[in-house]
Amino acid sequence: MMMSEKSKQHVDSCRFCWMCHHICPIGNATGHERSTPRARALGISLVNRGAIALDEIMDNIYECAGCGACVHDCSTGWDPVMFTKETRLAAALDGKLPAYINTLLDNCLETGNAYGKTVTCETLAAAIAAHAKKEDTLLFLGVDAKYMACRSGYNAIRVLEKAGVSFSVLADEPASGAQLDFLIGAAEETKAQMKAASEVMNAYGTVVVFDPADAKTVKQLYREYGVEVSAKVVTFTAYLADLLKAGKLTPVAGGKTVVYQDPFQLARDLGETEEAREVIRAYATLEEMLLNRAETVWAGNILMAQYMPDVIKKVAARRIFNAKSIGAKVMVTASVSEYVALKSVEQNDVEILSLEELILAAEV
Amino acid sequence: MNYQMNDFLFSMILTELEDAVGTENCSVRPIDKVTHSVDYYWLSRMWADRGCRMPEADFIVCPKDAAEVSKVLKIANYYKLPVTTWGAGGGTQGGAIPVCGGILLDTKRMNQIYEVNTEGMYIECGTGSIYKHIEWAANEVGKATMHYPSSLTCSTVGGFLAHRGIGVCSTKYGKIDDMVLGMEVVLPNGDIINTSPAPKHAAGPDLNQIFIGSEGTLGVITKAQMRIYDQPEERRFRGFLFQDMSGAFKASRELLQKFKPSVMRLYDEAETASLIKKIVGVERKGAFMNVAIEGCSDLVAVEEKILLDTFAKYGAEDLGSEYGEKWWKEKITFFYPGHMMDIPQMFGTMDTIAPYGKIEEIYWAMKKAIESNYPQAKFIAHFSHWYEWGAMLYDRFIIDGKDVPKDPVEALRLHQAVWSCGVRAALAHGGVVNDHHGVGIKLGRLMKEQYGPAMQVFEGLKKQLDPNGIMNPFKLGL
Repeated sequence: MMMSEKSKQHVDSCRFCWMCHHICPIGNATGHERSTPRARALGISLVNRGAIALDEIMDNIYECAGCGACVHDCSTGWDPVMFTKETRLAAALDGKLPAYINTLLDNCLETGNAYGKTVTCETLAAAIAAHAKKEDTLLFLGVDAKYMACRSGYNAIRVLEKAGVSFSVLADEPASGAQLDFLIGAAEETKAQMKAASEVMNAYGTVVVFDPADAKTVKQLYREYGVEVSAKVVTFTAYLADLLKAGKLTPVAGGKTVVYQDPFQLARDLGETEEAREVIRAYATLEEMLLNRAETVWAGNILMAQYMPDVIKKVAARRIFNAKSIGAKVMVTASVSEYVALKSVEQNDVEILSLEELILAAEV
Repeated sequence: MNYQMNDFLFSMILTELEDAVGTENCSVRPIDKVTHSVDYYWLSRMWADRGCRMPEADFIVCPKDAAEVSKVLKIANYYKLPVTTWGAGGGTQGGAIPVCGGILLDTKRMNQIYEVNTEGMYIECGTGSIYKHIEWAANEVGKATMHYPSSLTCSTVGGFLAHRGIGVCSTKYGKIDDMVLGMEVVLPNGDIINTSPAPKHAAGPDLNQIFIGSEGTLGVITKAQMRIYDQPEERRFRGFLFQDMSGAFKASRELLQKFKPSVMRLYDEAETASLIKKIVGVERKGAFMNVAIEGCSDLVAVEEKILLDTFAKYGAEDLGSEYGEKWWKEKITFFYPGHMMDIPQMFGTMDTIAPYGKIEEIYWAMKKAIESNYPQAKFIAHFSHWYEWGAMLYDRFIIDGKDVPKDPVEALRLHQAVWSCGVRAALAHGGVVNDHHGVGIKLGRLMKEQYGPAMQVFEGLKKQLDPNGIMNPFKLGL
């Protein structure tokens, strides 16, 4: 199997190491041994030694969310996400992808999103159309908000409208490349999609990226993949914090006590943890779950729910249990994807709110 | 009844197991089989490193509770299928490897935290819970489990109970068998029993202690009540340097007649000069010792004075608190790849325990046995679990990769021989087969050498509870 020497070294270090066994949100949700970084490394190492076929481990390779909890937890600095992504790329090049991944991949290449959607809901479409005029600031919604969580996208637009921001939203918004990166890593197709998106973004002074998965991709992966972005790129949460400081948002102190679910892309990859908290504190009383900020636990997403929906529900349910364990009644998330996953759990113990919902409910 | 497995019967059994635990929790996929075929046992790792497949189970099942375990064991008994229980696979003795195939019963779906009881000071949980998760649950209410082995994040409650695990604060808080109040166990015939409403009773022998350390040979522990403690107001560290280990033993024995520190770790000169130098930064000749005192601040202050006075009597140089604090911070770092021994090296921890008066002699006997018979091996040790009556020796042999045979069978032969040599030296001088890693398949052959006719007690229990011999065959010498 084609794999960099660096990844091989990480594989051979992780295959017999159990130290991050406790941290994988998928493994904790399923209780399955294969859903651990060491099991993934062991499988890859056995492929590299000819003891097992690549296609026999590929389902397991796609059970990794890439949340980086294991990477963050490792005292030595080994990186299971890196070799997992390289294995996905190797399998793609070798024609060994599982059928359900090929479907998502084909959708991505044909429509720009893994779901194969081409039409957004009417409410969001109308809101987007209202911001068709070219402004200096672009609100980049992302494919999840545009096609799978329209209400979130719509609320994001409303929040910026409330703050009196002049901004554009693109009806033909390009894909950031985040989904392709998840599916096949650093393939030429991924880089091409990123490059196309960056060219669109570079026509603006500021790009506000709504979805943390896109924010990580644009702010971190573009640089790694050699894709240049000249526009100023800010996360939605950081932009809201700035609006609050500038007095553009006018919160009424609400009575809710909430916990904040840090999206791993913001907390671990971009090191952004306090901006959302500043916003939340203006609208509610904030408490903390035991595992917060860079120790956050991923709560699921929409993409993986396409092929392992039951597991994603379990992942989300465990995170809700974390909130419940400290007596929290409300959990606020800044991730479109985690919001959908958390809302998919049938329960009445913890109210799930998006950051936009919290703001809109309490704005003057 | 002897029979040959065939495709038809295999498929029939699979449907029964799926019916017991749910289709998604029963697997015959290669990835699940290989994942459960390699644990932390050096031989399984070496085997995989050489590109060989270890013995694999035929079915991987993940029950969610005792009722589902019961169903699985009834199926296994009916078809006379071996059952190997797997926690998280962090064991070093090969105890979780399904050497005879059959059913691999992974406990990690039994990870429910049923109750955090701050009045009775225990957490009731499924034994598939990773211990770190129990620690988090305790931390959420301001408490702590005080069970902090290096494998805290990679072992389950059941795994620690099954092989009598221990953590770094054991001198004050005890071993895992001191930390459990009660357990739910599924017997090999599928019956679900509870050990006792409370420990420390006089209602006959302690059922807890029959199943703790039984390594899945007598049943499956499915639920346990594990003790929790108040967080200490203060935890103070003190590092010391002794000229040699003899002085440290005398000082420690005397100290333990007065009070119990939480952490006590004495490193021999070789380990002081290697691991301690690398991780903690002590670059001095002698035997490094790290001691932690914790609890109420007022008591800690008094105990620290006793510690300093006692150790000064035996010529210990006080190195202050810095090294100890660094050790505490890095206590798990020692075990990450890049810091820890790893393939292609051959290595093993031959921990044993004995009363004062014997333990130091055992150290020298094991060192001599290993170094004289296997000059290619390096021998290092520390003493890290202490009692009023004795201490535990955590000694390790390390053979450089260039001296390890490339042929896996030859490597296996060398590994077995070094282990037999070391453990027999311990037994000959009053030690035991193992202190806290268990027996597994690695040391089963030596159990009879330690116990002699006493082994028939274990064999009698095994015969009565597991007449078909399905539970974790060839482990624990049973």
